[in-house]
Amino acid sequence: MQLPPFEYIRPASLAEGLQLLADRPGDVAVMAGGTDLLLNMKFRLESPKYLLSLNGLTEMQQVEEQPDGSLRIGAGCKLTDLANNPLIRDRYPALHAAIESVGSLHVRNMATIGGNICLETRCWYTNQSETWRETREGCFKTDNQLCHVIKTASKCHALSSTDTGPVLMAMDAVAVVVSADGERRVPMVDFYRDDGIEHTVLKPGEVLAAIVVPPPNGHTVFAKLAQREGLDFAAGTFAAAMTGSSEAPESVRLVMGSIAPEPRLMEDGARILLSEGFTDEAIETVAGAARSALSEVTNLFTPSGYKRRLIRALIKDALLQLRDQAENNNA
Amino acid sequence: MSKQLITLTVNGDAYEVAVEPQQTLLEVLRDTLNMTGTKRGCTAGSCGVCTVNGERGQAILSCMALAVEWDGRSLTTVEGVADGNELHPVQQAFLEFGAVQCGFCTPGLIMSAKALLDVNTDPTDADINVAMAGAICRCTGHIKVKKAIREAARVLRAREVSDGAS
Repeated sequence: MQLPPFEYIRPASLAEGLQLLADRPGDVAVMAGGTDLLLNMKFRLESPKYLLSLNGLTEMQQVEEQPDGSLRIGAGCKLTDLANNPLIRDRYPALHAAIESVGSLHVRNMATIGGNICLETRCWYTNQSETWRETREGCFKTDNQLCHVIKTASKCHALSSTDTGPVLMAMDAVAVVVSADGERRVPMVDFYRDDGIEHTVLKPGEVLAAIVVPPPNGHTVFAKLAQREGLDFAAGTFAAAMTGSSEAPESVRLVMGSIAPEPRLMEDGARILLSEGFTDEAIETVAGAARSALSEVTNLFTPSGYKRRLIRALIKDALLQLRDQAENNNA
Repeated sequence: MSKQLITLTVNGDAYEVAVEPQQTLLEVLRDTLNMTGTKRGCTAGSCGVCTVNGERGQAILSCMALAVEWDGRSLTTVEGVADGNELHPVQQAFLEFGAVQCGFCTPGLIMSAKALLDVNTDPTDADINVAMAGAICRCTGHIKVKKAIREAARVLRAREVSDGAS
């Protein structure tokens, strides 16, 4: 597959890039590592007139400890560099696990954390070659008013596949969003939208510049299942963060990934664990509830029945791990 | 779209090439520089046969890199791994262990393995699995490949010892 022609723009700074972006509304694709965007362009899912490359801008590749103990991670950091960074490896094990689980090492050597957070949603019907797609009508993603997955749908149901997004939501990280007009901060829990096409809150002209992760607090876990570990997109991910003890947690946040156009907060499940503690029964209930919450989602790379069982097992296993962490630390 | 003149250093030799923005590193290596050692496989970032090593030795997918972004940079391809007529230990081990069948994935496997061994001459099986997960062989399987990498690591460690002693 070859790329469609485009005009290549490489700004000398992020500020220059944002100005270029503001001057050319529409028709511009912003590229970081390129592993997601270039693939979609090869599939002709995107054919931008201009390609604005932020790849290798050193100002976007910084990892800085903030005075309050939080960590500011530049969106342009390569995933491999982050995986090898002791500030992340030693202090944020769940984030580290999520980063190491993205694609293959080859991909992580090129891909950025910003790109993974903003990863395009994917769908079995759309992420195919142009020739394959031509055998059927277009869908919401390809300029038609139709979803092949859910016939009655009024919007695109393509799946979120980001591995780092769910962990960052669980850890209450904040996205630093910039444009030519300035900067705004968006909590990661508000960053995604339940729409396969407009799947983040980024507006035209805006770029994700960095992520601010709060100081390590309590316990975190990340779990992922994929058909081929170390290469495939996830069939399901789960991230959780808690403070307090396993009997009397003070805060609990649970996030499911790769099951909808956005990573999904499990607020009911968190409430159960908060009120009952991490008992076997509570963990079973939370995992079981997640399984039934998935019934609406049928846009799956794996059969939906299999995926529901998978998610249940994944969540149960991860919550048991989280409980172990909390108990061993308290002992 | 207008072509852009870039300087690309491949295996130590600098080349000036005029490239179009949409040309990938793989296309420029194979079609412009006629260095066909690097293979074109899925062109979608999943198979790893197009693996080349960047300036830090890191394995990257040349099918997913824009050539214009490599202006002024250097890389190593499978053509640059041997030292004259002497094969690199990882190439020698692939031969000895029969880690090659049809051979199409071999350049990608060699470059992926070399990226690992350049920074770690005592890899665990887990290290090897991580380094090789993105480079797929469809015919010979990965057992002999892993054996060959372990043998190459042993040879490289022995060299380190003898270099240290001399």
